[in-house]
Amino acid sequence: MISELQSPIDDETPIDRLLREQNRLQTPVAKFSEKFDSGEADANFRELIPLENPKPGEQFAFEVDLDRCTGCKACVAGCHSLNGLEENETWRDVGLIQGLSNGKGYQQTVTTACHHCVDAGCLNGCPVNAYEKDPVTGIVLHLDDQCIGCQYCVLKCPYDVPKYSERLGIVRKCDMCYSRLSVGEAPACVQSCPTEAIRIVTVDKESLTKESVDPSKPAFLPAAPHQSYTLPTTSYVSDRDVPADAKAGDETVLRPQHPHWPLIIMLTLTQASVGVTGAAVAWSGFGVGLFVASSLLAGVGLAASVLHLGQPLRAWRVFLGLTHSWLSREIVVFGAFAPMLFLLTGLQFTTLQDKVPGAFGWLAFLVGLTGVFTSVMIYADTQRAFWKFERSALRFFGTTLIAMGAGGWIVSGHISAALWLVAGVLAKFCLDALGWLDALDNEFTPDKHSALIQLTREPEVVVVRWLLSFIGAAMVLFIPTIPYALGGAVLLLGGEIAERYLFFRAVAASKMPGGIRA
Amino acid sequence: MKIHIGPKPQNTPLRQWDGPMTRELVQRPGEFGLGSVPEVKAPDATTESVCGYCATGCSLKVHLKDDVAINLSADKSYPVNIGMACPKGWESLAPLAATDRATTPLLRNSAGELEPVSWEVALKEMVSRFGKIKDEAGGESLSWLSTGQIPSEEMAFLGSLCKFGIGMLHGDGNTRQCMATAVVAYKGSFGFDAPPYSYADFEESDVLVFVGSNLCITHPIMWQRVMRNKRKPEIVVIDPRRTETAMAATRHLPLSPKSDLVLFYAVARLLIENDWLDHDFINASTNDFDDFKRFLLENDFSLETAAKQTGLEEDSIFDLARLIGSGKRVSIWWTMGVNQSYEGTRVAQSLINLALMTGNIGKPGSGANSITGQCNAMGSRLFSNSTNLLGGHKFTSEEHRQKVAGILDIPVDRIPQEDSWSYDRILEGVEQGKIRGLWIVATNTAHSWINQNRWNRLREKLDFLVVQDMYHSTETAQMADLVLPAAGWGEKEGTFINSERRIGRTRKVSRSPGQALADFHIFQLVAHYWGCGDMFKRWTSPEEVFKLLTELTENQPCDITGIPSYEKLEESGGIQWPLPSGTNEFEKERRLFEDGKFFHPDQRARFVYSEPQPLAEPTDKEFPFTLLTGRGSSSQWHTQTRTSKSDVLRKLYPANVYVEINPEDAQRLGIKSEDPITIRSRRGSIIASAHLTPITPVGSVFAPMHYREVNQLTLSSFDPHSRQPSYKACAVEIRKADRF
Repeated sequence: MISELQSPIDDETPIDRLLREQNRLQTPVAKFSEKFDSGEADANFRELIPLENPKPGEQFAFEVDLDRCTGCKACVAGCHSLNGLEENETWRDVGLIQGLSNGKGYQQTVTTACHHCVDAGCLNGCPVNAYEKDPVTGIVLHLDDQCIGCQYCVLKCPYDVPKYSERLGIVRKCDMCYSRLSVGEAPACVQSCPTEAIRIVTVDKESLTKESVDPSKPAFLPAAPHQSYTLPTTSYVSDRDVPADAKAGDETVLRPQHPHWPLIIMLTLTQASVGVTGAAVAWSGFGVGLFVASSLLAGVGLAASVLHLGQPLRAWRVFLGLTHSWLSREIVVFGAFAPMLFLLTGLQFTTLQDKVPGAFGWLAFLVGLTGVFTSVMIYADTQRAFWKFERSALRFFGTTLIAMGAGGWIVSGHISAALWLVAGVLAKFCLDALGWLDALDNEFTPDKHSALIQLTREPEVVVVRWLLSFIGAAMVLFIPTIPYALGGAVLLLGGEIAERYLFFRAVAASKMPGGIRA
Repeated sequence: MKIHIGPKPQNTPLRQWDGPMTRELVQRPGEFGLGSVPEVKAPDATTESVCGYCATGCSLKVHLKDDVAINLSADKSYPVNIGMACPKGWESLAPLAATDRATTPLLRNSAGELEPVSWEVALKEMVSRFGKIKDEAGGESLSWLSTGQIPSEEMAFLGSLCKFGIGMLHGDGNTRQCMATAVVAYKGSFGFDAPPYSYADFEESDVLVFVGSNLCITHPIMWQRVMRNKRKPEIVVIDPRRTETAMAATRHLPLSPKSDLVLFYAVARLLIENDWLDHDFINASTNDFDDFKRFLLENDFSLETAAKQTGLEEDSIFDLARLIGSGKRVSIWWTMGVNQSYEGTRVAQSLINLALMTGNIGKPGSGANSITGQCNAMGSRLFSNSTNLLGGHKFTSEEHRQKVAGILDIPVDRIPQEDSWSYDRILEGVEQGKIRGLWIVATNTAHSWINQNRWNRLREKLDFLVVQDMYHSTETAQMADLVLPAAGWGEKEGTFINSERRIGRTRKVSRSPGQALADFHIFQLVAHYWGCGDMFKRWTSPEEVFKLLTELTENQPCDITGIPSYEKLEESGGIQWPLPSGTNEFEKERRLFEDGKFFHPDQRARFVYSEPQPLAEPTDKEFPFTLLTGRGSSSQWHTQTRTSKSDVLRKLYPANVYVEINPEDAQRLGIKSEDPITIRSRRGSIIASAHLTPITPVGSVFAPMHYREVNQLTLSSFDPHSRQPSYKACAVEIRKADRF
């Protein structure tokens, strides 16, 4: 035993004493902090933020000096710590572009956050106006307590900016440190960049718009999504020769997207419901069975859609976005379709069954078709190649067509119904098959990306999807007994659900160039 | 005029501008000079602590609430980092909260599993097992491997405990893997291991030459200082790869791997041939120049030969010499591209020679400057008591042993009279059964040591392996017989010495989990249980040990007897060595050798050189590629035991091992980006993801060292002078693989 390790407390062993000491934190001395903090350090950033408010027609924007950005990534961590983000939440990212410049290897790290677009996709898509373009600064603000967590902004933003938080059920994003700027402080990323590569500048919105809308102009940064869609305001400046054909560090990395199961269910079932409604109206003279099936499909589909929302209790405000958001329009239109359908279905069980004017059925069908159209537009409006209007339209209306044909054929045996079913299945197959051919593209296009996800990451689903559809169609068409036909219809529905899974999974979601991935 | 925006609008039923979720991100003035901080993490006090990753030695301002760290930011007032930090620094607190922290000692049981035991059991087991080995085979059969990651006070305790207390003969640190070459080079040239610069030299140079250094990624905050240089400097980067730093330079010389020594001898010869020399400095402050001149002129270091061997244009080599001999302020900086080489010591000395020839030492913006790796590699060089006797003394010197024994108040015969074996020799000793008990502290040998499969085999030869670490999950801890749970950075006190010789304080700002103890306390306990506690009766706290250490440096080049306390360090923003007692006024940033006097007995620097040697493993038909290794990103640190524990850092680097390959080579081999590829050397074969990039030259591939697999490939070859492993070049074959 040695004296130093002996505790003054009787019976305490050296181990106990050191464990106790280990747990004792010294009261820190704040005097040194005060001594050093004369406030001068902040003066460093004064040149990195504007001296005054933007004038009318102007807004604040990030400017990144590529020649000063060397990939330390401190901006990402500084933003995270100074904004108190969740452990796994980051609002800034650092990517990489690489290529050849004057015959020599070229690489450039690229820091990127929200571009505070002049025509922000997130804002335009939001069904509840949870985004606001600040009238003074042009900063695209997000209202966290307004957000319903539908994540449509995540799909709408071509730069992958809004980030969804499972814990909160909402998205959050960079606000250019609005509150720091409001007290004359530099944003966290500006403050934490050791080489002063990031600054806030004032830009003229009109001239930026003019420059940006020309699709023949190169992208505002090589390998970045083109500026013509949302008019991003960030500028990347360099005195060096930046090769226009530089590629993203993660150009060829396959990024299968979140499948969004509630949306898969919602889209497939509502579209099938509209189709079955059409079958009821067109061929079966308001058959009870088809209406019940249609109502069931619509009911389950719309209920599923609520599960998609992170904050469903706030969703009553969805009408706010009607003037600009296809998601608002979809909700409102299906909100009209469902009661009409349920009323029609209910009437089938009353004595009024025969007195319902046919036009009312056709009207319900038309409203349903309009709903499918709004669904198409939700995805077409994201500008993602895999979700282009004609592709999404064929997929979504194809589901309606298949459901209508199958329902009509089973109930009425009408040959035109069978033809519609066959046409729907074949048209959708052709669309898929043509898409797979894009895997052979030389350039790594978004179409190739989508084809490769289907063929290399989800080949089982692709096979199952078409087995279900072909077998289901064959059962419906060729085995004219109700159990088989209904079984076939279920298989057809399964095929469409699998198709919709691939629809979400295989989309090439655009984003800013990323770094090496392995 | 000033920006005047806000406040945001009030809530309406249709528009919720405020609410509980909005308030989660609300900021408020942080006080303590912090600017705005998140309200939920508003501190009630702050303190400063030097970062525990790299040797830049940034000070972090730790935000405290009820004495415990809740956040941190970069310290605006510290002369090193001036308000900046790299992502590792920003994320320093995250690794403390990891779920795989070692919280109790673990002892391997009869079933072969690591089982929690009490400290009492653990220490008794350690003492009895080590004691038995010592009884049977003597103190030379026990050894320790330590680190550049713990404070000087703990290093000194470990080294003193092992050598003076337990009676071990051999110990070394992972600093052998990063800095040994610079140490030996400086000792040979200057007479003491003395990096001469301060970071102010980055700002004051006209010509900065970076050799084997990707500073932007390895030391981003030093690069900050380069970017603050207002003299419009020429920045030359000499590196086979077109790295981030090469991109940021004004000139990049992409030389063939390991052709550096010929290049710098050729440059030296050009300086002589063109008389771009500082004759006054050479005459006054150096020795042996004429011999060096003869060596350069009589051997084939012609421009033509250098161009052929390096693959560089003759013009670009000539221009490099012209720049270095321009008479302007030239500073030469090197990192692992030089140190981790089979002839790194001579390469480092060839750079020192260039600085000596042109008088670029001891002046603003000059120097032949080794940039250090780990946060306390410099502390290890002075105080680890492994290669050097405490305080930069020699075990072989009677006078030094007497001095140290006197200050420590221990019998002089407890101090070994011979030098320690180096890391590689210790492991060889294990292989040969000469070393049977090994204590590994805060390093991850099973991941980081060269030619890993050899280590895996020799683990079996050890009778008893003790691993002391923050995490029970490290590859090395998993192999241990006994794991001792250690407190990490932020959970203990001490000092680090940074790359520019600045001693800075690191502080306890967080409680360690479970029964984890500061390494300092663990050493106290081991001393107690070994029965040599009396020897360490003055070693009661880190600060007491610091005072001992300052005493030990008296009259040494690293004399810090003028630092009385931790408080003085904090007041001064850290203090560079030397600071002899009686120094009251001193500059915050100081360089060495301003008087032209060096540490050899004759006070002159020496030109040290020898003929370039052939590469240990050149490429050939079977293994046609050179494998280069190095840092992958600024968010990764060494074997990733800490950096992999931060969500933010994890987002900033690739999750799995990858290899960079030039698109030309890839196309020839039918390899596309992200394809699985097999990399095979004579020692092992791994599968990695391909990343096609023109920044890696044709004929070479680059693999980041942070992925464990990589060291299965590397070759056990060493610089003969420094015994530092040559991680940077071995021959490999590349093939497309079927699957990961």
